[in-house]
Amino acid sequence: MSKRIFQHPAEAQTGKRYWRSLGQLKDTPEFRGWLQREFPQGASELDSSDVSRRGFLQYMGASVALAGLSLASCRRPLKNLVPFTKAVEWSVPGKALFFTSMMPGRNGGMPLVVTTFDGRPTKIEGNPNHPVNKGATDVWAQSSVLDLYDPQRSRDVLLDGKKSDFASFEKELEAILKAAGDGAGLAFLSDGIVSPTRDRLRREVLKKFPKAKWAAYDPNGNPLERAAAEAAFGAGHEVVPRLDRADIVLTVDRDILGVEGDIASVRGFAARRKVDGPKARMNRLYVVENRYTLTGGMSDHRLRLAASRSGAFLKALAKEVAKLSGEQSLGALAGELKASEFKFKDRWVEECAADLWANKGKALVLTGSKQPAAVQALAIAINSALGALGKTLEVRKSNAMPSDSIESLAVELRKGKTAALFILGGNPVFNAPADLRWAEAQAAVKTVVHLSIEKNETSAKAQWHVPAAHYLEQWDDSFASDGSYVVGQPVILPLYMGINANELLARVAGVDAEPLGLVQKTFSDAAGGKLEPASWAKTLKAGYSAGSQAKPLAVGLSAETLSKLVSEAAPVRLPDGEFELVFIADSKVDDGRYANNGWLQELPDPVTKLTWDNAALVSPATAKKLGVETGDVVRITAGDKSVEIAALILPGHADDSVSVALGYGRSEVGSVGKGVGVDVFGLVTSSEGRFRVGVKLAKTGKRHALAVTQEHGALEGRGADITRQATVAEWQEHSEDKDFFKKMGIDAHAPPNFSLYTHPKLDDVHAWGMTVDLNSCIGCAACMTACQAENNIPIVGKEQVLNGREMHWMRTDRYFASEQGAEDEPEMVSQPMMCQQCENAPCETVCPVNATVHSEDGLNVMAYNRCIGTRYCANNCPFKVRRFNFFDYNQRSITELYRWNLISEKGTPETIQMQKNPNVTVRMRGVMEKCTFCVQRIQEAKIAAKVHAKDSGVQPRVPADAFTSACAQVCPTDAIVFGDIRNPESRVSKLKEEQRGYRLLEYLNTENRVWYLARIRNPNPKMPDASRAGAASRDAHGHPAGHGASNGGHA
Amino acid sequence: MANIFPRWSNWLPLKIAFCLIVLGGGVSAAFLYYMNPEYMRVGYQPAQPVPFSHKIHSGQLGMDCRYCHSFVETSAYSNIPTTQVCMNCHSQIQRENPKLQPVRDSWQTGKPIEWVQIHKTPEHAYFHHSVHVNRGVSCVSCHGKVNEMEVVSHAESHSMAWCLNCHRNPEEFVRPVAEVTNLDWVPAEGKTQKEIGAELVEKWHVNPPVKNCAGCHR
Repeated sequence: MSKRIFQHPAEAQTGKRYWRSLGQLKDTPEFRGWLQREFPQGASELDSSDVSRRGFLQYMGASVALAGLSLASCRRPLKNLVPFTKAVEWSVPGKALFFTSMMPGRNGGMPLVVTTFDGRPTKIEGNPNHPVNKGATDVWAQSSVLDLYDPQRSRDVLLDGKKSDFASFEKELEAILKAAGDGAGLAFLSDGIVSPTRDRLRREVLKKFPKAKWAAYDPNGNPLERAAAEAAFGAGHEVVPRLDRADIVLTVDRDILGVEGDIASVRGFAARRKVDGPKARMNRLYVVENRYTLTGGMSDHRLRLAASRSGAFLKALAKEVAKLSGEQSLGALAGELKASEFKFKDRWVEECAADLWANKGKALVLTGSKQPAAVQALAIAINSALGALGKTLEVRKSNAMPSDSIESLAVELRKGKTAALFILGGNPVFNAPADLRWAEAQAAVKTVVHLSIEKNETSAKAQWHVPAAHYLEQWDDSFASDGSYVVGQPVILPLYMGINANELLARVAGVDAEPLGLVQKTFSDAAGGKLEPASWAKTLKAGYSAGSQAKPLAVGLSAETLSKLVSEAAPVRLPDGEFELVFIADSKVDDGRYANNGWLQELPDPVTKLTWDNAALVSPATAKKLGVETGDVVRITAGDKSVEIAALILPGHADDSVSVALGYGRSEVGSVGKGVGVDVFGLVTSSEGRFRVGVKLAKTGKRHALAVTQEHGALEGRGADITRQATVAEWQEHSEDKDFFKKMGIDAHAPPNFSLYTHPKLDDVHAWGMTVDLNSCIGCAACMTACQAENNIPIVGKEQVLNGREMHWMRTDRYFASEQGAEDEPEMVSQPMMCQQCENAPCETVCPVNATVHSEDGLNVMAYNRCIGTRYCANNCPFKVRRFNFFDYNQRSITELYRWNLISEKGTPETIQMQKNPNVTVRMRGVMEKCTFCVQRIQEAKIAAKVHAKDSGVQPRVPADAFTSACAQVCPTDAIVFGDIRNPESRVSKLKEEQRGYRLLEYLNTENRVWYLARIRNPNPKMPDASRAGAASRDAHGHPAGHGASNGGHA
Repeated sequence: MANIFPRWSNWLPLKIAFCLIVLGGGVSAAFLYYMNPEYMRVGYQPAQPVPFSHKIHSGQLGMDCRYCHSFVETSAYSNIPTTQVCMNCHSQIQRENPKLQPVRDSWQTGKPIEWVQIHKTPEHAYFHHSVHVNRGVSCVSCHGKVNEMEVVSHAESHSMAWCLNCHRNPEEFVRPVAEVTNLDWVPAEGKTQKEIGAELVEKWHVNPPVKNCAGCHR
């Protein structure tokens, strides 16, 4: 038999291409390096330390000799077993306990179930009982457990920065309150969290001090959205999009599936993307935005447009809709936004409006929560004309009590008449609009009390800093995004004696500050005054009060106030040749509050794949105009202020627009967040909001290394080998062709597979497998964080990420796809990539020590204690999913990795150890690791089945879908499904048989256990850019299947 | 030219090689013998803070193992009893016994008793008690005849080879589930352990992980 070497055919240089980065598009040497090597050249050298490899070996020798001198190693260490004195209720050593709880956030409380081992919370899941999130969570909820254990959390009461204690604080508080009189000298600044108990206590405080001021500030909050809703429907109302009911959705500068949405929206959208066959109806998404967001990635049609032109776009749309509907008032409303000089692709607007109008009652238009209230009000008017009110756009009573703005509070403080200011969470010194000069305003107050979970910039400028309790440490309550009442149950005693905002307010109000009692009183007040222990217990068990969901209201649009709001607004103009600066809420650190969370800092941004930094995102054309490459530092000048920040070229970005994420560049922060990114809050003004026009950009000539992971783990293969898609029309055309999605790309050419090896039978009663639905995956990366929390995955720091050594077991690959020459208008696809658990695993055959072998149930398993770290397996993995511990990431801080290992400090902070999953090995240096399909959960389930079978004689078998992997459990869109493919009842065994199912690099005969379901796009054939959509896989069908089937393969 | 090396040096390399082989062999043999769980673990019998006698409680009084190790059937760990469990009886009997002073102290102060660990699951291995005792593996198979021990000692090697011996040949150890905590159980007359075991293994579909590393290592 002649040698069978499969040569990858050269990729056609015409037609549609998939690319991860501009580096791949241009085929730079750097990208070739990432493609051909698992790790960059010289990755095993200790490159940036002063210790050479030779010196390192000498030290190693010395340390071995030293170890030999110590006789202590000959004795068996004495270990103790320490049982409880008194048994603790429910506690079974070695078994997890689950508690319902709630994470407070700006979109309401997220209902959770917290896993605890021996009283230590280790993992957070969504509450599967709750109708909104059904077990799903997001990256912030997943990583909040790390915040709880942050060793650098605030531990002490501080007075002027020096350690004090609670008793002195209480004394001072008493004195303040005694002198307060009617409260004219008191002010409160809340972080905008909605909690009924906090609101109740606020009313108590205001009853005692009627003249006290109460303001709320959340930098990424949405007061403008509220203003627009109140103008349209009257005070105290809010609008809630129902994406689950919408057939046609248009978002204008609104990342509804990302940072400007919540789980309810994401789930609602994904529900309309579940297609079981070519006849299934799916929704259609039009997106207008200035930069690629997760929402843009899911779009069927996308228009890149500067954020400042969104208002003008909506005006044009309103005119079209008015034309179609004949509603003169809407046209008149639109006419008042004088911005007619803006040019759009006319047909785009026309056809989009026609599609919306054709689906009257099932269409929805959303605009950015940071757009001026007038623009948002116009969107409400359009929705009204489209018959969306009460259907796809619900009006509800808002749960948030109205508060003053931070701007009016700053004015008040400057008068110097405020004796005491209580800042409940938040960090206004860092993130208040720069033109408020908040630090000065705050300095005019005699006593500032700052309650915060971390010591931040505001604590440094406050007289008193009081440590706050983490939400997992204290009782709290809130409303979920559907308005249902959720209780935040503590699962651990406060680690550092923190108190929460409710306790502080209760002390101010002079009521009993027992945290459970405070929440119970709110609960019982709502139920009519008396606490019913049974209904309280029921609420705790379910995690929420069943039936407490908010009811949609049938409120008519008050056209008068709406048109007043629209007409009073000054139009925003972006003259040609000027730049627009857009401030974006960060997908990881939010407004800076999560800056000290290593999991979030190291998580690649879902779109830019940037870690440990923020950057100025610009389009390729703008970059060319400025003469900058990714990593070149640019100076952004807005008004009289400027910042210097590295540029990152992002395909699909609007020209003449720059986007920068807020929340980086914190100065008073723990060691993880220190020196990470650039603070751009200095450019934010309260008058101009979240985008500024007339901004100047200049190249500085400096360079800054950006740790972007987008080229890491690049797969050898051509677009359609890896990620496949088709349009609805194409799918319907090929609805009978079983192989339509299976024979794309190289698989259309590959000869039939055969194997030279004999393979042991995989004959267990179970066979584990996974499906990933690319049609509903939005790429949010919640799976990556969930995996990190579940599997004790360490962080490695920016320097290591630059070397391609990030440890995430799964990644979400982001591909752009474009026609040749049209790289400015690419499509985006996200694809979660984890170990494919190949039945014929290439990694296994090359391991010299049998450390990675196959199990009977089809897992490609790693025995860490056998691994000697040759890295052959990683080298031979076609999917590049194996991760190597180049350093003792679990034992050493990320700043100490390169220091000689005898003198650098070893060990993990005790609190961080408490987070670790006790059922997963914490790996050490020199060991290879990878996705295990959460083998600890598999074993747990198998053991449970065996214990259940006991001596009954029944074949032990895990019931279908009895458990799932961490990534599948967290997935807000249900895109990842895990289960037993041998069980015909399981979801995964049905899903993998769908026509859309395909496996990666099938021609390698690896027999993967992960099936991907191809992405379907639903373009409107009348749109001018319809031909672009989903065409990426089209060229792949040019050749008949089996073409080139010969021993010689393709040459 | 005179010989540089004297005649006896002809044999020197061989002698050196022989010595090295003997030395190397000796070191290897010693290492294999002494650094083996068989030597390192078996017989480990530390003194406990309370001279608790399994012989009296389990052997003479006939208390079931699960009275104290109450979660062995549900959890991966077989728990060490709480002070409260000791006091269930010892608040009534042997109230003045000086040997029980640490127990009474613990009960009064709330400070737990620090027992010395004897059996330790090796690193990187995950052992699950409940799946073993629920599928007919007796306590005695791994812990020896604890009911005859005045002071508990490590009875078996708990090495990987030892684990696999049972995982490969479960019929040699599996017994009826009801007899798991009966450490003195012997097969009924006329039958051998192997016969009973083979029958149960087939009937119960006993299939312990043998080639699946992830069964124990994860």
